[in-house]
Amino acid sequence: MKQQRPCPYGGYLICNNPLCEYRYATSEVLHLCSDVLEKIALGDTSQKIDLKFERYAVQRLINSINKVSQELSGIIDLAHELAIGICEHFDVLNRLQGGDFTATALEDSPIEVVKMLGHLINKQKDRFVEYINKIKQQNEEILHLYEQQNTILSSLGVAVIVTEENMTIEYANAEFEILTGYTKKEIEGKMKWTEFFATETVQEMMEYHNLREISPSLAPRQYESKLKDKNGKTKDVLLNVVMIPYTKKSITSIIDISERKRIQEQLIHSQKMESLGFLSGRVAHEFNNIFTGIIGFAGLLYTKIEEPSLKNFVEKIIDAGERARDLAKKLLVFSRKEEIEEIQEINLNKYLEDFSEFIKVIIGKDIELKLNLLEQEIFYKIDPTHLEVILMNLVTNARDAMPEGGELSIGLKEISIDIEYSFTHPLMKPGEYVLICVSDTGIGMDEQTKQKIFEPFFTTKPKGKGTGLGLPTVFGLVRQYEGQIHVYSELGKGATFKIYLPIKEKKIKEFNRDALKGTETILVVDDDDQTRGFICSFLKEYGYNVYEAKNGQEALEIFERNKEKIVLSLVDLVMPGIPGIEVMKQIKRIKPEAKVVIMSGYPLQLKDVITVEKTISSEEILFKIRNMIDRKE
Amino acid sequence: MVDRSYDFSGLKCFIPLLKLSAIYPEFKPGEIIEVVGDCPTFEKDIKAWCSKLGKTILNIEKIDRKVKITIKI
Repeated sequence: MKQQRPCPYGGYLICNNPLCEYRYATSEVLHLCSDVLEKIALGDTSQKIDLKFERYAVQRLINSINKVSQELSGIIDLAHELAIGICEHFDVLNRLQGGDFTATALEDSPIEVVKMLGHLINKQKDRFVEYINKIKQQNEEILHLYEQQNTILSSLGVAVIVTEENMTIEYANAEFEILTGYTKKEIEGKMKWTEFFATETVQEMMEYHNLREISPSLAPRQYESKLKDKNGKTKDVLLNVVMIPYTKKSITSIIDISERKRIQEQLIHSQKMESLGFLSGRVAHEFNNIFTGIIGFAGLLYTKIEEPSLKNFVEKIIDAGERARDLAKKLLVFSRKEEIEEIQEINLNKYLEDFSEFIKVIIGKDIELKLNLLEQEIFYKIDPTHLEVILMNLVTNARDAMPEGGELSIGLKEISIDIEYSFTHPLMKPGEYVLICVSDTGIGMDEQTKQKIFEPFFTTKPKGKGTGLGLPTVFGLVRQYEGQIHVYSELGKGATFKIYLPIKEKKIKEFNRDALKGTETILVVDDDDQTRGFICSFLKEYGYNVYEAKNGQEALEIFERNKEKIVLSLVDLVMPGIPGIEVMKQIKRIKPEAKVVIMSGYPLQLKDVITVEKTISSEEILFKIRNMIDRKE
Repeated sequence: MVDRSYDFSGLKCFIPLLKLSAIYPEFKPGEIIEVVGDCPTFEKDIKAWCSKLGKTILNIEKIDRKVKITIKI
């Protein structure tokens, strides 16, 4: 009889022999199977029943459970593979969504669907990247186009605005900012175009605006107006308005014509003065002949008449005739028909100093005279009588403009008019001028008076006090020397008369030879052998040590090696290779305190650069060099 | 210090993985997250996920039938 032991799951165990198939009670096997199945159900596919039974049904159950575990393990592995694959793709999609286009999905999954999904994601990514690159390229093209348009708009030298239907300015270019003084930020979308124009012109412009809304052809496309800038200054402008097709927007280009108008007025005024001069000259000349006859014959008559009362009449005729002849003479001066008689070279400094004593007598004690003369002596070839007439007229006018006293200044200097200045002042030719400046602190003049002061017989003085021929005479004399006269005045702010007399031949300065000598070392850089040779030889003649360089590169090498010795470098402005200015910069980089003088073939003025013309005398070049070395410049 | 923690207890097999992938975009680099699960393959799944996505497992703790895994994103 086998010993019966209770089974933990119920029933009895029938055998203790581990090799006996009856060792496990059926119920225990079933329970074991149930436990294993439950674990498998939880996903633990490592479960396996490693028992052998002869009983077919039991063994089949165990086999089936093991098979389920094995099969399920495969399915779970597959599911994991699928899940991990999806996770990976998820990650790639997330990175792509975040803008990381370096993310690439793996296409090596053993699961076809995951592999396909990876392939699809990569293909989509490629398409997307391609699309983005295309958009980027288009954006770049648009940006480039925008930059180009912007450059065109800003380099036109013309202010341009785009305005909306409600008159708000949508766009303004840099030129408009310069013209108005407002910034783009202040203008665009905030200000209306009406805010930029003088009140008196806005109404007319509004009418044009309204007409343009109906039909662009109803309003003029181009017209003049007055623009008001941020400081309230009014500028004459020329507008050109074009409607943008299919919109209610318009593009307006604005050109500042204030300067052009001023020049035009100057030219018109000058032409008027020329015509007046011509006319008065002809009339005065004819009258002069007539007066000669009148005075001559009246003189003869005077000698023939005995009757005192008649003699008195003839005397009066002669007197009136002489006064008329004087008047005609003054008109001749104005018209520049009078001959220049006695040209002398005058030391203007000395002349003005001497003349100032006489001026003090004329202006009286209430007016203070200030002479602004430079140390440098200025010589000019002029008829001293003419200079006296010019100064006397200006001084007496100044005195009359300051009845309650004030200050009269007379200045003298030499100035150089460059091409740029002569563009804006077309009556002034480029060149060297002597400038005599007469200023007063008197009552000043309004614009209208200023326009007429040089016209013969125009006077603001009380009747009998002025002939109206003073300033025309000054004008005529200045023009006779091919000079110019400029007037600056405002009511209550005094007046300044600037007389520009062209220097035709410059007096050569006399230099003390010994003062020009030196023993310092100078580097001469010029590509032209002849010029370099000439400069070097006169430098050596005056005792200087010289290094020569025929181009910028060589100059820099020499300077680097001898930077302690070289006290000054004379560098040609235009050279093949490194230009003169760049050589100067590099020399200063090697030795910041280095002294450099730029030589040029023509007069030029450069900011922060000391220049010397090659055309001036060797003494003048030496003088400049000596001054530089001695730190006078 | 853990920045986020998720309990996937009761979820079978790869569902915790999919859930983790779904919330993954919320994670910021450097964050420490803690996941708990009781699925027998949970540990293996999380390890595989970390290895595939280059995340670092800081700690694995087994409490009864549950596994708590700390990950650095």
